[in-house]
Formats: sequence, C-alpha cells, structure tokens
Amino acid sequence: MVNAITDTSFLIDWIRYSKSKLIFKIFSIIYIPENVLNEIRSERTLIWISEGLEEGSLAIFPELPDISREALELVARSRRVPIRPVDYPEAFCLVVGRRLNFIVLTENGGAIALKSYDPEYSGVEVLRGIDVIYRLWRLNYLNSFKDELELYQRETKHIYSRKDLVRYSDYLK
Amino acid sequence: MSINEDKIREWVEYFREAREIRRRYANWDFIKSQPPKIRIALEYYIETGDFRTAAKITGMGVDEFLDMAKDLAGIPTTD
Repeated sequence: MVNAITDTSFLIDWIRYSKSKLIFKIFSIIYIPENVLNEIRSERTLIWISEGLEEGSLAIFPELPDISREALELVARSRRVPIRPVDYPEAFCLVVGRRLNFIVLTENGGAIALKSYDPEYSGVEVLRGIDVIYRLWRLNYLNSFKDELELYQRETKHIYSRKDLVRYSDYLK
Repeated sequence: MSINEDKIREWVEYFREAREIRRRYANWDFIKSQPPKIRIALEYYIETGDFRTAAKITGMGVDEFLDMAKDLAGIPTTD
C-alpha cells in the first residue's frame, strides 16, 4: 500500500460518506498537513481525524520550511495562469506528492488543473473522491461503482461534472 | 515553465460548467435572506468556487462554511 496526503477539500467531502473508513483499505497512512488541520473547525471533521490519528491510519505532516517555500512559489506561479489558481494548502500537498511520491487527495479544481498544465507536476498522482471509489470498487470493497458513486454524491453533496464522469463512462452504464 | 495552452482552454470550460452547477442547485431564497456578509460570501463562492476566501469573508472555518453552503444554501461542491 502507498501513502497519501490530503487537503481540506477532499477531507470535508469524504468524511460525509457513510463508508469513509474504507479509504484506509488502500492507503498505508494518509497524512494531513498542519496547515490543513488548522483550517478544520467542525466537530464531525475533527472527530473523524482524531479517530484516524488514534488508529494510526492518519498522521500529521509537519510544516517543513523547504516544502513551504516551494509551495508558495507554486501558488505564485499558478496565479499567472488565467484559471483558478492553486491555494497554499493544495500547493503544499502537491509539493509533498512530487518529492515523496505520495498520492495527493484533493477535490480542489485549482490543484487538479495544475497537474494537467504544469509539466513539473504532471507526474504527481492526484485522486478525487470519484477515483478513490473506483479503486475501492476494483478491489472488491464495493459492489457497484455506479450505485456507490450516486450514494457518494448524495451523501457528500458533491456533484461531478461531465468532464469528470466521462472518464468513467464505461463503468457508469 | 511551458504551460499547456490546450489544457488551459479545457479547464476554462470545466470551471464554467462547475459554476453553472453551483448556480443551478443554489437555494436562492435562503441566500437572499442572509445578512450581507454571508450572502456576499455565498454569491462569491457560487461564482468562483473559492471556498477559502468565501469562508474568510464570513469569519467561519472552511469546513463550517462548506457545511452551510451544502446543507443550508444547497450549493454542491463541484471542483
């Protein structure tokens, strides 16, 4: 199993999913950067995180100066592109993903877009909720990808666009 | 850095569709009934998808803001 690092946007959506704990079947440890933890205030999210920390399936990723510096540079660079920029917490995750070969978990469009247009980050593996559900289904932890994606969207109130769904059109018929 | 211009054009369309989804699902009666700070933050979020700045406008945590946007204002996360 591999390690992952998550940003705020992924966490907020994912913990609403009734089968959220299944994610620990596919990652050894999911790291939460300090700057992401600092953004969280709601009881539901904090309970999910504290349980994961207790079980050892989650860990806090420290605010390391060299990663922080590179993340800030990435934020500035993304602001020169005429689409939604990447914010610091997502940039931090992308830098960690690139340097340590961690999978980046995010629902933030700015981060997902950056991976596709910036060749320096094209090698970073970025997964969204829909991708995690697909992997869980392929590994037989879920019975139906289509039904589960509908449940996920209903429970999390996250709606995937046509561009997101078309990648999985063969499995959504 | 050499940016992939074709990809940028694709993402412009992607973010446009995401904004349309947020506009379509939003509970406008709820949004319009809110005090200015919350109303403006929700409208900003619908137009941009930038939940972090929207949360700052309200003084709420990011997760608290998104919970309100989803559960009370009917705005799904999309991008």
